Amino acid sequence: MSPMKLCVPGDRLCSTEDCMPGTGVYLRHGYIYSSLAGYVLRKNEGEELPVISVVRETEAQLLPDVGAIVTCKVTSINPRFAKVHILYVGSTPLKDRFRGTIRKEDVRATEKDRVETYKSFRPGDIVLAKVISLGDVQSNYLLTTAENELGVVVAHSEAGAQMVPISWCEMQCPRTHAKEFRKVARVQLSICRPEQGPVGGVHPSPLQQGPLSPSSRNTQLPYL
Amino acid sequence: MPTDTKRVRGPEVSQSPSLFLCKNAVKKSTASNDARVDGRQRGQVDVRSVFVRCGLISQAKGSAYIEAGNTKLICCVYGPRETERKDETDMKSGRLITDMRFAPFSCRERGSWIQGSDEKDLSLMLLESLRPGVCLQKYPRSQIEVNVMVLENDGAVLAHAVTCASMALADAGIEMYDLVLGCSIRQEGATYLIDPTFLEENGYNLASGSRENLGSLTVAFLPSLNQISGLQSDGEMGEDTLTGDVRTCIEGCFKLYPVIQQALSKAVRRKAPPSES
Repeated sequence: MSPMKLCVPGDRLCSTEDCMPGTGVYLRHGYIYSSLAGYVLRKNEGEELPVISVVRETEAQLLPDVGAIVTCKVTSINPRFAKVHILYVGSTPLKDRFRGTIRKEDVRATEKDRVETYKSFRPGDIVLAKVISLGDVQSNYLLTTAENELGVVVAHSEAGAQMVPISWCEMQCPRTHAKEFRKVARVQLSICRPEQGPVGGVHPSPLQQGPLSPSSRNTQLPYL
Repeated sequence: MPTDTKRVRGPEVSQSPSLFLCKNAVKKSTASNDARVDGRQRGQVDVRSVFVRCGLISQAKGSAYIEAGNTKLICCVYGPRETERKDETDMKSGRLITDMRFAPFSCRERGSWIQGSDEKDLSLMLLESLRPGVCLQKYPRSQIEVNVMVLENDGAVLAHAVTCASMALADAGIEMYDLVLGCSIRQEGATYLIDPTFLEENGYNLASGSRENLGSLTVAFLPSLNQISGLQSDGEMGEDTLTGDVRTCIEGCFKLYPVIQQALSKAVRRKAPPSES
């Protein structure tokens, strides 16, 4: 790629006939102008026009958008909903915390009315969720965990140890062997990282086998 | 004996500092009408040379410092973050919040840390000048805070605040349509003084006998889009003089533009050295 050119907001980069606009640019009167102070990147996409965009190294100005997968931490629960703080959008950490809400009927896809939030989340859990709406003026971002890949990824038991998932609705504490109810996420192998050492020998990293490996302990999983 | 806690008295042997002040020569301009106190010319687009630097405050998302003559300003930008007050959340676009303050040591007379009414006025004008330049609809439900602090006031404070704030916004990575540059002018009779100092702004060096066409003007300008986003005028000026002054301010902004561009490019390069990929 040719040496990166710097630009400031308002610089006219090229006309719309030469390139297609990417991120960090805007169109005006048939020309593409930069809207960020950064490096101009021109990517060739094959037979179509090259895409021009302006990048800065930090993407920290990302905002949660509808349909984005976010990582959040549960702050409080309530029979009707759970309140969370959104920490990451995709894989980018946010500098400022945004607040979100997971309503009772958005926790899972089946049996929506019989959900108990106390058995799905607890304060302090790290949850993968998807943004369904920016909410209105009064409310926060609305999130959902009603998919197999969404739900609790990290949770601590009442004894304080990090729990190990044993099914889509239960997690077990490696120290006390007590089972607790959570709405567990099915984390793909590429995303999950190996947990710190074997967890008490109870379940040697079930994430390696896939948390839903057929085993006698798992009940019939009513995933759609 | 109850001590007076509100008054800070110096030690017994203290003397008033005004005894030691060098009196700045506030002389009438008996010199030729062309020269100003700091050596610049009247009637010409002779803006003070600026020193600008971005990214000096690590805690803020973006920051900028500007020095023009003796006027020194610093600006910090935070955001986009969630709007703090729920009733002010706007679903379609973000909010820009500006705050301009004078440090107590910035003017000739010591000010207070509490925001006065003219600071609030200037903050509002800053907001009006910056808002057309920022792509607020890309940040729904969020607010972007811009805080300007004047460290030393030697004239043309609003104009430099606008420039400084737009540089800080660009440094913070906030999407903008264009940079907003500010320029200030003081009209005295037949001639004008561009980028006036504090003394020139307050009319201390009045050329003899000019009572008409006396006023100041501050313009906020978007150079690439060729649009004016803010205009503030004081005093009485004729229509032609006013339009001429606006054009002169625009020229002044264009003179400033390359310096700002260079400073921003340097800041980007400093933050992320050009990758080889």
